[in-house]
Amino acid sequence: MQSPLVITGMGMISPLGCGVNAGWERLLAGRSGISPITRFDTNELPIKVAGSVPSISDDPEAGLDSDRVADAKERRKMELFSLYAMAAAEEALAQANWFPTSDAERLATATIVGSGIGGFPTITQAQNTLSTRGHRRLSPFTVPAFLANLAAGNVSIRYGFRGPLGCPVTACAAGVQAIGDGMRLIRSGEADVALVGGAEACIDPLSLASFHAMKALSTEQDEPAKASRPFDQARNGFVMGEGAGLLVIESLAHAEARGATPLAMLSGYGTSADAHHITAGPEDGAGAAAAIRAALKMAGLSPEAIDHINAHATSTPVGDRAEIASLRNAFGDALAGIPISATKSATGHLLGAAGGVESIFSALAVMHDRLPPTLNLENADGDLQDLDIVAGSAREHRSQHVLCNGFGFGGVNAALIVSKV
Amino acid sequence: MPRRRVVVTGLGLVTPVGNTVKESWDNILAGKSGIAPIEHFDTSGFNTRFGGSVKDFDISPYLNPKDARKMDLFIQYGIAAGSQAIDDAGLECDERSAHRIGVAIGSGIGGLPMIEHNHNALNRGGARRISPFFVPGSIINMIAGNLAIQHGFRGPNIAITTACTTGTHNIGYGARTIAYGDADVMICGGAEMATTPLGLGGFSAARALSTRNDEPTSASRPWDRDRDGFVLSDGAGVLVLEEYEHAKKRGATIYAELKGFGMSDDAHHMTAPPEDGRGAAMAMSNAIRDAELDPSQIAYINAHGTSTPTGDLAESRAVERVMGNAASNVAVSSTKSMIGHLLGAAGAVEAVFSILALRDQVAPPTINLDNPQEGCILDYVPHTAREMAIGYALSNSFGFGGTNGSLIFGRA
Repeated sequence: MQSPLVITGMGMISPLGCGVNAGWERLLAGRSGISPITRFDTNELPIKVAGSVPSISDDPEAGLDSDRVADAKERRKMELFSLYAMAAAEEALAQANWFPTSDAERLATATIVGSGIGGFPTITQAQNTLSTRGHRRLSPFTVPAFLANLAAGNVSIRYGFRGPLGCPVTACAAGVQAIGDGMRLIRSGEADVALVGGAEACIDPLSLASFHAMKALSTEQDEPAKASRPFDQARNGFVMGEGAGLLVIESLAHAEARGATPLAMLSGYGTSADAHHITAGPEDGAGAAAAIRAALKMAGLSPEAIDHINAHATSTPVGDRAEIASLRNAFGDALAGIPISATKSATGHLLGAAGGVESIFSALAVMHDRLPPTLNLENADGDLQDLDIVAGSAREHRSQHVLCNGFGFGGVNAALIVSKV
Repeated sequence: MPRRRVVVTGLGLVTPVGNTVKESWDNILAGKSGIAPIEHFDTSGFNTRFGGSVKDFDISPYLNPKDARKMDLFIQYGIAAGSQAIDDAGLECDERSAHRIGVAIGSGIGGLPMIEHNHNALNRGGARRISPFFVPGSIINMIAGNLAIQHGFRGPNIAITTACTTGTHNIGYGARTIAYGDADVMICGGAEMATTPLGLGGFSAARALSTRNDEPTSASRPWDRDRDGFVLSDGAGVLVLEEYEHAKKRGATIYAELKGFGMSDDAHHMTAPPEDGRGAAMAMSNAIRDAELDPSQIAYINAHGTSTPTGDLAESRAVERVMGNAASNVAVSSTKSMIGHLLGAAGAVEAVFSILALRDQVAPPTINLDNPQEGCILDYVPHTAREMAIGYALSNSFGFGGTNGSLIFGRA
C-alpha cells in the first residue's frame, strides 16, 4: 500500500489579498476582489475592471508588500507572476516548515509552477521599447523575465531546490496540471517533496484587448463586484484575475517522519483532451467528464462520494454550460445532491494560477467543512434549476472529498480530488 | 506499480537544414550549416543579423492554409512535424483508442510574431484592431490542442514550457505517462519560432547571441575557443512514443526504446550554469539510473552544446564527472553547430537526431570546431560524421532558470 499524498503547506496571493487566511476569510464573507483597473489608463480600452492583487497601500490589512518579497534590484529582473509565486512559496514553505539545507533533501524537492501566459507585460513593454527607442534599449532581463518557467526557476533558486523543475503552460488548466505532475513525480520516486501550483499576472492592455476580441471578457464597467457571475443568466464573460497559489505536497509517511502536519490529502487526479474545438468544449462535456472519471478512479471513489465541487466556472455562457454538461455526464443523478461553488465569482479568472488558488479553496473546504459562496447568482441559468449551487453566502457542510476542476483553451481538462486526512 | 516499456515509432522534423526527417538528417551527416542572414524582417542596426530560419516551408500538406493563417508559425511548424511523425508511425485513431492517445508538445516562447503584430495593431488602431484569433493562435498549448482536434486524440493533453529544456521535458513526461499506464501512445516534442525583432533583440540584450555577422555558417562553434554565443533558430521536432506491446501488436516499425529520463535544477542563477556543471551532471546521472545502465554503456551524447562560453565548458565538465573513466570513450557532438539553437524545439529535434544516430550507427559531427578551448578534453566528433557502434545514446537539454533534462535511447 502506497503512502497517500498530502498537502503540508499552502500559500496564496489573489485579488482577495495576500495570504491563505485573508483570502479564505474574505471569500467566506462574500467579498469581491474585482475592482476598476488603475495600473494603466483604460480610457481607450473596452475593458475597465479586473481582479488585481491589492498593494499594501490599497489594502493595509492584506495588500502585497513587494519589498518584503524581493528587493527593488531583484524585482527589476523579475516579472510580476514570478514575484507572486515567490510570495506564495514563502507562505507555503513556512507552513510546511520545508527549508531543506542538505544536498539530498534539496535534490529531492521538485518545483512545478504552471502559468498560462508567462511574463506578458514584459513582452509588451519590450515591444514598446523596441518600436520607439530601438533594440539597444532593451533590458538584458527581458528574456529571463518573460519566460513562463521563470516563476518555478526563481523560486527554486531562492530555496536551493535542485530536483525536477517544470512548468505546464496549458492555458487555464496549467495550475491543476502542475499539481498532477508533482503527484506523479513523488509517486515515481523522482522527488520526495514538491512545491506545485500556478502563477499568473497578465493584466495588460494587449491581453485584455485580445481576450475581448474573442468576446471572452465581461464588459461590466459600473459595478465591478458584479462583473463575474458564473451560472447567472446575466453573465457576459470572465473577469481577468492575477495571483499565485502554491502547495507543498509529499507522502503522508514523509510528512509524519519529519513531524509536518498533513492539512488535506490529494487522493485523485485525471487529465484529458476534448479533441473538439480550440476554444469551446463539446456540448455533451465528454472530454472534461473523462478527466473527472480518471480522478475518481485514481481516488477509488464512486461519484456519490464527492461532497462538494469547486467548479472551473469562469462566467462565460459557453464554458459554464459545457462544465455543467460534463458534470452531468460524470455524476448523473448524483449531481443534484452535491453543492457546487464558483469561487471565480469573487476572484475573477486567474488563468494559469486558477487551479493553484482553487485547489487551496478546495483543501480549506475539506479542512473546515465550510463551502465558499458563489457571488452574483441572482437568476440561475435554466439548465441548472435542479442543481445545488452555493449562492449568496458560505455554508457549513461536512466534506470528506472535494472535486476541483480546471479547463483550458485547446480543449485541455484536468480534475483534482482533495480529501480529509 | 510495474513500469511499462516505451518505444519510438514515429519521427517528424522541421529544421533550418530541412523540412523533413530525411532531408534534415542527410544534411546533418554531411555537415551542412543551416545558418544564414535573416531575411524575413529588416535586421539593420541589430547586433546580430543572422539565424537558423526554416526555409521554403509549405503548410499545405498538413493543414488548410486558410486555417493556418490564424496560427502563429511555431504552431504551424509543430503541426507539420507532428503530422509527419503520426504518418510515419502509421497511427490510426478510432473510438476505441482515442482516449488512450495523448499529446505533449510545448514551446519555450510561443507566439511572439503574433504578440508583436497585435501589440502594434493595438498601439496604432486601438482595441478594435486586435484579431479574435490572436489568443488561440499564439498560446503555447495550441500545438497539442490542434493536433488533438485534427486527429481526435482524447488522452492527456499537455504542454510543458521550460525554456530550452522544453522539448526534452515533454518527451520525458510523455514517456512517464505511458510507463504509468495513463496512455498507450503520446505524441511528444517542441516547436519554436522566435526569430522576430523582439526575440532577436531580447536575447541580444542578454548578450547570449553570436555576433559573427560576416560569417554566419561559422557562428555556431561549440567548444571552440573562438565561440561567442548561440545562434537563434526556428523549427520543430516531434516523436511518437508508444507502449512496447502496443507497438508490437500493431506491427509498427520501432526506431528505438526510450530507456531513461532524468531531471534536475541548478538552483543557482537565472541564465548561467554553475561552473562545475553539477546540475547537468545530476540530470544525466538520474537518466542513467532510470535506464538501469552503467555510464560506460553510453556510446554517444548529443550535447546541449549551444556555443556559449560558459555553458559549453560546464557541460563538458559535467560529462567528465558523470562518465568518470569512460569519459574518454564517449563521442560527444553538438548538432547545434549546424542548426543553431531551436530553444523549446531543441530537445525534441536533438532527440530525433540521437535516435537516428542509433539507427544508422553513426555519430553526427560538430562542425566549426577548429581549436577546442583549453579544458574541453572530450571527443567532440569534429567536422565530419563518424560511423561507430552505438548501443545507447543520451541527449541533453539545459534551460534558463537552471532547468535540466536528459533522455537515453537504446536499440529496441
